[in-house]
Amino acid sequence: MREQILEILQELRPDVDFENETALITDGILESFDIVALVGELSDAFGVELHVADLVPDNFNSVDGMISLIEKLRDDE
Amino acid sequence: MDKSVLNWLQRTAAQSPDKTAYSDVDSSVKFSDVLKYARSVGTAAAKRNTAGKPVAVFAGRSCLTPAVFLGVVFGGSCYAPIDGKLPKNRISRILDNLDPALIIADRAYEESISQLALDCDVLFTEDILDVPADEELLSEIAENANENDPLYIIFTSGSTGNPKGVVTSHHSLMCYIDAYSEVMGIEPDDVLGNQSPLDYIAAIRDIYLPLYTGCSTVILPKEYFMEPARLFDFMTERGVTAVGWSVSAMTVPASLGAFEHGRPEHLKKICFSGSVMPNRCLRTWQENMPDAMFVNQYGPTEATASCTCYRVTEKADDGYVLPIGKAYKNYRVFLLNEDNTATPPGEKGEICVSGPILALGYYNDPERTHKSFVQNPLNKSYNELIYKTGDIGRLRADGNMEFHGRKDRQIKHMGHRVELDEIESACDKIEGVDECCALYDSENERIVLFHSGAANVRDIASGLRKDLPGFMVPRKFIYLEALPRLANGKTDMTALKQRMK
Repeated sequence: MREQILEILQELRPDVDFENETALITDGILESFDIVALVGELSDAFGVELHVADLVPDNFNSVDGMISLIEKLRDDE
Repeated sequence: MDKSVLNWLQRTAAQSPDKTAYSDVDSSVKFSDVLKYARSVGTAAAKRNTAGKPVAVFAGRSCLTPAVFLGVVFGGSCYAPIDGKLPKNRISRILDNLDPALIIADRAYEESISQLALDCDVLFTEDILDVPADEELLSEIAENANENDPLYIIFTSGSTGNPKGVVTSHHSLMCYIDAYSEVMGIEPDDVLGNQSPLDYIAAIRDIYLPLYTGCSTVILPKEYFMEPARLFDFMTERGVTAVGWSVSAMTVPASLGAFEHGRPEHLKKICFSGSVMPNRCLRTWQENMPDAMFVNQYGPTEATASCTCYRVTEKADDGYVLPIGKAYKNYRVFLLNEDNTATPPGEKGEICVSGPILALGYYNDPERTHKSFVQNPLNKSYNELIYKTGDIGRLRADGNMEFHGRKDRQIKHMGHRVELDEIESACDKIEGVDECCALYDSENERIVLFHSGAANVRDIASGLRKDLPGFMVPRKFIYLEALPRLANGKTDMTALKQRMK
């Protein structure tokens, strides 16, 4: 899953070092329109449905955050 | 008659001294304090002989920022707000053009400013908010002011790679604010929710409506736009009743499903502008906010943020064409053909604007000013400057205008004006790029860059990031061995547009 998320992120923002960033939202590295695109890509790639309550910085600040979000969403289904 | 926005500030501060003028997530400032701080900043600036020259301001999303802008005006200058987070190269190009008499900056920007080669003084906001006001100095400056004096200079994308500084007078700004407050019905008890960066043109409403009407502005934190549930809750908590947002600020919460969670309960007056509103997004807002008024505004920075507006009365079903409407008060808007003759109703022509709302031109740039601000070719009898927007419009039988795209390669992306040429000219400078072409994929709202040569995506993306604001950096890169060419040697844009899909 990590590889696949990294691929999506690299495609979205080739200039960012996603392996090592842990404050993508808090430091303003990702912008609101990146999030819109990312939410769409993640939903399609992993067959999960993201809700507005999932859109909090912890879930998107790092690749690890995104992995746990997707795992949580899969468990809920 | 008022000759300066400072007259508005003084009047409102006298009428409602203890009312909150601006607030942000942490603090707030009342009208009497805005006046007090502005006079202090003005005194500090004027003592450095800034009068008549611009002052660059680097300030964050703080409720004190408007007071700093107004302080510059008290000091007899116009202010040029600059986003301190822009790449150093871009800030340098802006400062080269501006040649400011002084920089006033929040302490937070100290480090980025220290990296610039400057030949002017720098004052930090935190140090000058309590400077005792020099009454004599300030009244002398006020006496010499007139309503055509420049109020601000706002920089926007320029196709040559050099940003253009649009200079706007007090009079133009006052005309716009008066017209807008009438259309939107802004009252003293309204609370505006500011979304626009304070250095950007759309923020003039949030900065000046409180001074004119006695209403109040809440500066919404930028990061809340990525957490729409929190954004809506915050707006409800702060009692936001009116917004003037970019279309993208409306589409982001709508597409992230913000209305699943709730809505901004007190919001009644919604104006959007900056790009074409998708019907699906407008419909989502209309369905969730049935009691709100929706107004579509159109217009460029050169005509003080606007030209026309349209109050939406229909439901935005699929296939609905949302007009840009009719001219605001004090604006004259009409269409011209390529050969400078009047475009008949029902046909397409270039949207042109005249009236007291025209900008004073591009700062220190007579060449580009004279190209865009010209004598009205339909008027042979007296001086009447018009601004040719480069936008294509069509006048409907009911008197409302429709928007039909651009004459040139300028696009609107996330509320910002972007010249695709400027992206290419930045890209040409990167080592290893042989050829490049930027296009806009409007369906997915992203800038696409086609490139050839040895430079890889990471080289190009990080190279561009050193030169361009973040919203101008392409989000999709497509490598080609060579760009397709037409017989005349020009890039084959049609072929590239096909490739983009």
